[in-house]
Amino acid sequence: MGNEASRNSQVDGKHFLWVDKITKSFSGLTALLDVSFGIERGHIRALIGPNGAGKTTLLNVISGILSPDSGHIYYRGKDLTRLRPHQIAAEGLSRTFQLVRLFKANNAKVLDNLMIGAHLKLKPSLVKSLFLRGALHRQDRVMRETAYEKLRFVGLEPAAGDALPSNLPFGNQRLLEIARALMSEPEMLLLDEPASGLNDAEVEDFKKLLLAVKAKGMTILLVEHNMKLVMEVADEIVVLNFGRKLADGNCDEISCNRKVIEAYLGSDYMNMAGGNHSG
Amino acid sequence: MKKNLRWLIVLLFIALFPATLGRISPYYNTVLILVGIYVILAVSLDLLIGFAGQISVGHAAFFALGAYTSGILTAKHGLSPSIALLAGLFVSGFVAWGIGRAVLRLKGYYLAMATLGLNAVVVKLITGFASVTGGASGLLNIPPFQIFGLTLQDHTHYYYFVWGIAILVILACLGLAQSPFGSALIAIHSDEEAASTLGIDCPKYKLHVFVISSMLAGVAGSLFAHFMGFIAPDDFDIFTSILVLVMLFLGGVGTIYGAALGAAFLKLLPEVTYRFQNYELFFHGIILVLVLIFMPRGLLGILTDAKNRLLGSGHLLNPPPSGKELQPS
Repeated sequence: MGNEASRNSQVDGKHFLWVDKITKSFSGLTALLDVSFGIERGHIRALIGPNGAGKTTLLNVISGILSPDSGHIYYRGKDLTRLRPHQIAAEGLSRTFQLVRLFKANNAKVLDNLMIGAHLKLKPSLVKSLFLRGALHRQDRVMRETAYEKLRFVGLEPAAGDALPSNLPFGNQRLLEIARALMSEPEMLLLDEPASGLNDAEVEDFKKLLLAVKAKGMTILLVEHNMKLVMEVADEIVVLNFGRKLADGNCDEISCNRKVIEAYLGSDYMNMAGGNHSG
Repeated sequence: MKKNLRWLIVLLFIALFPATLGRISPYYNTVLILVGIYVILAVSLDLLIGFAGQISVGHAAFFALGAYTSGILTAKHGLSPSIALLAGLFVSGFVAWGIGRAVLRLKGYYLAMATLGLNAVVVKLITGFASVTGGASGLLNIPPFQIFGLTLQDHTHYYYFVWGIAILVILACLGLAQSPFGSALIAIHSDEEAASTLGIDCPKYKLHVFVISSMLAGVAGSLFAHFMGFIAPDDFDIFTSILVLVMLFLGGVGTIYGAALGAAFLKLLPEVTYRFQNYELFFHGIILVLVLIFMPRGLLGILTDAKNRLLGSGHLLNPPPSGKELQPS
């Protein structure tokens, strides 16, 4: 009971999302073991770790694509653990993927991708689509405006709306995926290595975008390998290694943590981080 | 505006056909009634395959359920055909719902397997329950359609009735395909997992599109039964399902118009190839193979290209909506 009480205080208190003792294994291979951490409302929480540490698995567990063997995910005090992905999305969690996953069937355009992102706003049931077309059409027009707004927000030209997603340069495809995730006005974003494959200038723009998203009051869980970006934007960092939580703390704590340096960052990074902080 | 004009021409052609060409040779009225029925089948299948990306290879099973429900209720129980048509629609929809609930939770091609099986089972059941269905020798004496006390005995009347419904079906399917409902289907078609993380309940949408597609096939079946007056299991075997699939891919998948075009082309083709008498099947096959090899985007794709070439819009194959790569602003 004491355990329950302490957990609830963490849930109801400052944590927007609480990952509670998540364990997940794939046919004997443990991908996540007893991982717990929280994210405060409006913060950017970075999730780092070497390849195969279980970062994407954890993101899949949170978004409902995988169900954990044990443990719970609490979002605003509500247990999401057994919900299906679309129900979790409806709770206000939106995500992107490590390998950009845009919709391309039937020559779907950039704007179509954004409009699909507005699914939770439009709720186009079969009955509504057949018999309440006027109402749906009006909603659709409003969402179209929102779509162009989101395009501009992530830094894409409105003219890109008519393009095929595959005609966009790679960096812009990533931005489009984020714009699509923003269409449902989520309260929390889960981003899976959003800066991988971006060049330095694009990463710089992306950093500004992340901070702009944060400024809108959204909470972000950021899985990322680009340490410079992580150190610049994250409020707190959690480090995974071989499916276990290795460290949890703010940027200074993480960059000074011996275990993290040994397991992941390497000794070179210590000098670099030290340089940053003195300068 | 231009699009409306195209529709107007097609509608005028359909409306004036019985009074002009159909008058010269009334036989073609009956051919065009069958075309209309197959247009309903192909268009409804396009909603399922072309938009939601769910492969059904047993569309004829629902065609059969509609035809036999309607046929049995009218020929053996004396029900009015319009009520029988609705009954056929619900029976088809109900069976689709049952199968869809079991199969569509899964990702992958389970629906193809299930519908393939269903088609065989339905044909076997029709053949087996001879006391109800007439068995292999067929169901006789299905009355012609009646609506508002008017019997559509005359083929010209029935022609207008069938095409009225076919056009309604095309409009409904187009409306669905172009609505956010259609967008959700395209998302499911592209990437079910990504779609679900945007809040799309994939099993529900797949089930709904499967049910509506099957209901429309049921309507086509009912129209077929009342037109022919006699139906037999052969009309609904797996080859009919394949024929509808070929119509869809021949015309151009995922466009609705393409499916209608493919149905018309394939149903009218024998009217040309029969002149080759013994070589009819040969020419029929050759034409199909040539079309599928050289027009991978179907007849509609070729027509679009030809139009672009004539009007000099420049793009020949798969014109990108905007040619240039877009740079970040």
